[in-house]
Amino acid sequence: MSTSPTLRVSRRWFRALLWLYPSDFRDEMGEAVVETYLDRCRSALERGGRVSLAGVWLSALADSLWNGPAERLRPAVSWRRSGDWGRDAQLVVRRLLRAPLFSLSVIGTLTVGLGAFAVVLTLVEKVIVEPLPYQRPGDLYFVWRDYSSFFDLKRGWLGGPDVTDLARAGGAIEGAVGLRRNRRTIAFVRDESAEPQEIGVMESSANLFTLLGVQPVVGRGFAPTEAGPDAPRVVVLSHDLWQQRFDGDSTVLGTPLRLNGELFTIIGVMGPNFHFVRHSSLGAPEGAAAYVTFPYDMGARDPRSGAFAGLIRARAGASRSQLQAAVGAVGAALDEREFGKQGLALYAVGVQEDLVAAVRPALLVLALSAIFLVLVLAANLGTLLLARAVGREREFSVSRALGADSVAIVRSMIVEAATLGALGGAGAAGLAVWGVRALVALAPLDLPRRETIAMDWRLGLAVTLIGVFLGVAAAVLPAVWASRSSLAAMLRTSAIRGGGGGRMRRSLVVVQVAVCLILLSSGGLVARSFEHLLRARPGFEPDSVLTFRIPIAQWRFPDNASAVAMQERIERSIAAIPGVDTVGAGSALPLGAGTDQSTIALPGAPGNTGVPEHDDVFVDVMQVRQGWFAALGTHILSGRDVGPVVARARREALIDRTLAAEFYPSGNPVGASAVINQDTVTIVGVVEHARQYDLHRDGRPQLYLRDADDTYGALSFAVRMHRTPLDVIPEVRAAIHRLDPQLAIADVRTLDAVVDDALREQRVSTALVSGFALGALLLAAMGLFGVVAGAVARRRNEIAVRLALGAHPHRVLRMLVQEGASLVALGILVAVPGVYLAGRTLQATLIGISAFDPSTLGGIAIATMVVALIACYVPARRAGAIEPAAVLREG
Amino acid sequence: MDRRRELDQLLPLRPVEFDILLSLAVGERHGYGIILDAEERGLGAIPDVGTLYRALRRLEDQGFIAASERRAAPDAQDERRNYYKITAIGRRLAQAEANRLVALTRAARTSGLLGTTS
Repeated sequence: MSTSPTLRVSRRWFRALLWLYPSDFRDEMGEAVVETYLDRCRSALERGGRVSLAGVWLSALADSLWNGPAERLRPAVSWRRSGDWGRDAQLVVRRLLRAPLFSLSVIGTLTVGLGAFAVVLTLVEKVIVEPLPYQRPGDLYFVWRDYSSFFDLKRGWLGGPDVTDLARAGGAIEGAVGLRRNRRTIAFVRDESAEPQEIGVMESSANLFTLLGVQPVVGRGFAPTEAGPDAPRVVVLSHDLWQQRFDGDSTVLGTPLRLNGELFTIIGVMGPNFHFVRHSSLGAPEGAAAYVTFPYDMGARDPRSGAFAGLIRARAGASRSQLQAAVGAVGAALDEREFGKQGLALYAVGVQEDLVAAVRPALLVLALSAIFLVLVLAANLGTLLLARAVGREREFSVSRALGADSVAIVRSMIVEAATLGALGGAGAAGLAVWGVRALVALAPLDLPRRETIAMDWRLGLAVTLIGVFLGVAAAVLPAVWASRSSLAAMLRTSAIRGGGGGRMRRSLVVVQVAVCLILLSSGGLVARSFEHLLRARPGFEPDSVLTFRIPIAQWRFPDNASAVAMQERIERSIAAIPGVDTVGAGSALPLGAGTDQSTIALPGAPGNTGVPEHDDVFVDVMQVRQGWFAALGTHILSGRDVGPVVARARREALIDRTLAAEFYPSGNPVGASAVINQDTVTIVGVVEHARQYDLHRDGRPQLYLRDADDTYGALSFAVRMHRTPLDVIPEVRAAIHRLDPQLAIADVRTLDAVVDDALREQRVSTALVSGFALGALLLAAMGLFGVVAGAVARRRNEIAVRLALGAHPHRVLRMLVQEGASLVALGILVAVPGVYLAGRTLQATLIGISAFDPSTLGGIAIATMVVALIACYVPARRAGAIEPAAVLREG
Repeated sequence: MDRRRELDQLLPLRPVEFDILLSLAVGERHGYGIILDAEERGLGAIPDVGTLYRALRRLEDQGFIAASERRAAPDAQDERRNYYKITAIGRRLAQAEANRLVALTRAARTSGLLGTTS
């Protein structure tokens, strides 16, 4: 080769560019293409020297970048142009029927895998993505007051004047509504014999429905005049209540009902899809069964007593920042007028964003796990189809040699995979209908929009299409491989039975192992976090305790003494039930986030620092009757329980462990006093902290007041017994109704159920994520098994030769297992960044464990390795069964 | 024979395909020769090397051209080159395309787009 150095470099460059083309083109045309480029180079050098040479180089690059991939895609493109679909479909069906095991296993895997994906997709779509069913839902905001310059509360209720000022503000604020939710006992004037029931009631300004842009389906909403002190008392029912208590009878309009004894006229019924919830300062959002208006003038309320949620609508087209500015301006004006500029600010939070904020991290984790599962599924499907294509290599090569068009081969494979994908996707959509129902039954009770979560035809169609897409995507690699298999190449390779598709298949296995490891590590962490939560000691003993709430309505028991007397009678009648050990009552059950909050002072306590932010401590306040702690199993650490009320005795209270540790680090608080709302109470004991919010960590410090000093009214009762609590429910109901048939008994649950409900989110996530992870492990193991089994089959001759030449079967076995193990090791390496990113995503949802916990992650890696080695070992053992003589004779 | 209708279905040819057939109609060529011919014709775009070889392969697969045994000069570089010749059916295809172009030109003339005497 008498070429100049310039041309030698050029040749190398053009050769490199050839890699952009598919191998068959390279084999056939490569040298000629390079020579042609070199011809151009020579003439360019003659004409313009090195500058034109660079031009040839660049144009060759552009040329190859375009034509190389285009040539690779040629089968797919011409497939699109031509073809006989009907015949293809017929052939595909025939082929699939001929391999029922293959078809069923693919469809089954897709159905289960995509079914799980569909369930999560539905959950995410219905909870996070789908807009709320109000007019322009993106323009609705809740407004909160930031109290942090006073005490530790960033999200406080508004006062009445806040709401009226917001409504009057104009500008970016189109309208404002005040909301308050409470529970009332409903009684039916029509049917006095019906058992009284406690329901959630939403009290609001008259324009609630107008602001939301939703109207009742029966009757009408509130007129602007129907709120305030002199307005007629009217009520709008929720669809559920209307169905349950009035059997959907529209003649109820205009008839009266009683809420806490007060008469209301029914004017409307909301539609079945209206599930409005009022967001809350601290607890979960709450809905209501009936809607009424404020019986007072909001503007005349005490601006300092925060009691309302503020819901506002932004004017159409107003930006978020304009709205925040408008809300901020109203807040600043109020701060100056009512609080003497203490820096109490108002701010707005989007309704949908706020509604889903708490579940978003958990849903994100679920969604990512589901996507990873689908990735493993796609890779697994790819290996299966590739294995099938390799099995048909001879058929492809022969038919190509006989003149079959490579396009036809690609087409038939893609149609086959798409058919499998469509069947699997449709099966998954069907399965997901039940899956979603099961999930909703297990889902946290306060999961936002729980009632709207169900599969619909759009999601079903989407899942089916995803199945088709998955099938086609998984078929592309094998199809392109098969379309290029030629008889010559096959004869060449089959001499050593090297077999094709090996590299593709091995890369697919690496991908599967990697994604599977990411899923497993997430599953492991979520499971460890759940285990941690199960072991948490929440400050009470939940087993064998029945709880329920009995509102003692003020309209029937107007003074403290009569209410307390009723409570005592209830306690006595329950205590008389056989098997009951202790009865207690308190204003808030643990884990219910149902306490009041207040700032208190502990004058004279050694822990006081003189700094008002520290000494005026913001606590959860509960009211309890004697026996509450014993019934819950909350230990009294020092001092005693509240005693019975003695006329003109001191007010009694207990503080919890955290408050005692902060303010009485060494001394004994018993006998000291606390000041709450200008009242002085005497501390008679210190109790364990019974957790109010999360199972796994303490909440605010707690103060327990003796309820009998000034009763709360609607106390929850806790009954500890040595019987099965659920069996005692009828006796409890009977005992209470014997006392007074008009008492409503609400929220009858065991304390175990209260704890279980608190565990629901973690339990569902754990079950789903670890289920996905185990499914992925199974798929990856199947893939690995297939690769090693394929290797054994392909290398029969080679193995036979080795054995015949005296290789020990163990060595052969080790060689094969090593091949699989190296893929697993590679997969584990590839997974490291993924595990890291998954950990970062998970971090927010984990409890009591780091996202990079070495023992969990190490254990998972080892477990994966072990499963993978087994998946390699089992098929590799078949190599030992090869009889060299027999194989060599055939070969 | 329905061959004629089959050929008609392939029309119009891509510019690169017609360039190839035009060159090979004169005699056997290798790839660069076809490019040089196209340059000489001086009509519009010269095909890229990749485009040219993809078209050569396609036309060969369809039987319109065939690889030739002839070698212009038996040197080392030339051995790497592929020479092509046109087949009978390829010639018919080129003729069909040429006829189509003549018919188009005639139509252009009738509609006054071209001078009647040119």
